[in-house]
Amino acid sequence: MIVLGIETSCDETAAAVVDGERRILANLVLSQLAEHRPYGGVVPEIAARSHVEHIDGVIGRAMARAELTYAQLDGVAATAGPGLIGGVMVGLVTGKAIAAAAGKPLIAVNHLEGHALTARLTDDLAFPYLLLLASGGHCQLLIVEGLGQYRRLGTTIDDAAGEAFDKTAKMLDLGYPGGPAVEAAAAAGDPDAVRLPRPMRGRDGCDFSFSGLKTAVLHVLAADPPPRPEDVAASFQAAVGDVMVDRAGNAIEIARRRHPGLRHLVVAGGVAANTHLRDRLGGLAKERNCVLVAPPPALCTDNGAMIAWAGIERLRAGLPDPLDAPARARWPLDPDAKPVPFAGKKA
Amino acid sequence: MPILALDTTMQACSVAIARDGEILARCHRPLERGHAEELLPMVEAVRRQAAIEFAELDLIAVTIGPGTFTGVRIGLAAARGLALVGAVPVLGLGTLEVLALAAPVGEPVIAAIDARRGEVYAQAFDGAGEAVTEALARPPSDLPPPPSPAGNLVGTGGALVRPVMPDWRLLDAVQQPDAGVLARHADRLRHRASAHGGPAPLYLRPTDARLPDGRGN
Repeated sequence: MIVLGIETSCDETAAAVVDGERRILANLVLSQLAEHRPYGGVVPEIAARSHVEHIDGVIGRAMARAELTYAQLDGVAATAGPGLIGGVMVGLVTGKAIAAAAGKPLIAVNHLEGHALTARLTDDLAFPYLLLLASGGHCQLLIVEGLGQYRRLGTTIDDAAGEAFDKTAKMLDLGYPGGPAVEAAAAAGDPDAVRLPRPMRGRDGCDFSFSGLKTAVLHVLAADPPPRPEDVAASFQAAVGDVMVDRAGNAIEIARRRHPGLRHLVVAGGVAANTHLRDRLGGLAKERNCVLVAPPPALCTDNGAMIAWAGIERLRAGLPDPLDAPARARWPLDPDAKPVPFAGKKA
Repeated sequence: MPILALDTTMQACSVAIARDGEILARCHRPLERGHAEELLPMVEAVRRQAAIEFAELDLIAVTIGPGTFTGVRIGLAAARGLALVGAVPVLGLGTLEVLALAAPVGEPVIAAIDARRGEVYAQAFDGAGEAVTEALARPPSDLPPPPSPAGNLVGTGGALVRPVMPDWRLLDAVQQPDAGVLARHADRLRHRASAHGGPAPLYLRPTDARLPDGRGN
């Protein structure tokens, strides 16, 4: 089985071809970073304009790289949400058009399911497993019980983890995007130099909160003289690490009450590309007799391969979608999870 | 050879297939939102009605704007996606040009779209359908003087332009671009199609993004 995957939900224009043997035949990501950098964040209308200019070229190059014709595909998978709706529509409509013209099934993929199933593409992992999904738009802990079966144990009640990195980078004048910038600065800093809070640590459950941490960074920077940016970055990253270890630790206990044999902690999403956080979570996993599964960074950040793979899984389960499949700005993985009032789409 | 034409730039979703200037099938549905959901099922329905396979198409025609930003992108994304599979060229025509082509031949026409914020998107054409001005986004009172003393006004902005061009006739019947009109004229205009990469969108307005220091783009 061979599926084309299309991803346009944020600021990466991406297409990939993956087969049922878990081989990635092509995986192209065109970043819009340079277009958004002057604004210090992703501008939805700029993103949508860039996607429509580039997506067909990226798909064409991915197909050429895979040395395949559209007739050789078994399906076309495209992100249908959640995300910036203008961009989602571009990728989804392009995918629908290719599916229709090639006479192949369409799979309208939940972007979060793409992240959630990546560990099955990279590591052939069996269900169930615990997932920490941390990106610019999300921060949640879920039990992945099966295809389309997600139980949310906790989520952010305000900012997403990646958002906290971006805002901290902005305050420290480290540039955009914040994740890699904070990580690089932190490498030259002392994580104990600046006292920052660990929001939610020690509390029951698995929810996150990052807006207080962001405010604390702002206060710390108001001191005269202000601390070194490297020390603030290292201390901030250490605080996020402590919070994640605490929350994920609770999640492992809760998940094991439902699934006593659960042994895998998976990280996904752009924030999972952070080496410090991977190391901290690796330590936690070891301590709790778990195995940390962390896909390579290029498959943690947004990409088409995860969408193609989710398409393969859904197609195998007999779950193709009709050509009128809607684009959705909001599409939670666990529809039974309680809404979180101040987190909006991030929950 | 059959041509598939699409329009989603405004308040309709419109699809047609024509061969040698004759319409084989057409579907035109007024629609404020939901073009991304409606368009491809409509393409399939029109294609089946015309009894045409995708592999038989030798040109895809699409309106490139101006119109709603989202609508412009939906039509272009579909046209470019369809074109990828069959390696078919894509002909992009301005929404204003397609509106003008629906007016009686031989008379000058100004196509105008209500662009909100007190502005219209407008463009003037001669009796042969050739553009005599660029497509502009302006308040009606700031439009350049009409190219001739009288003619036809078409599009949702026609009524907004009329007060400044009182001698021009308002053609109420032509409000939304029609893929049927586009499909019938596409064969004649196919030399303007791009063989590689689809046509670029025509937004006529910048994004509303603001730089951190408050400057526009």
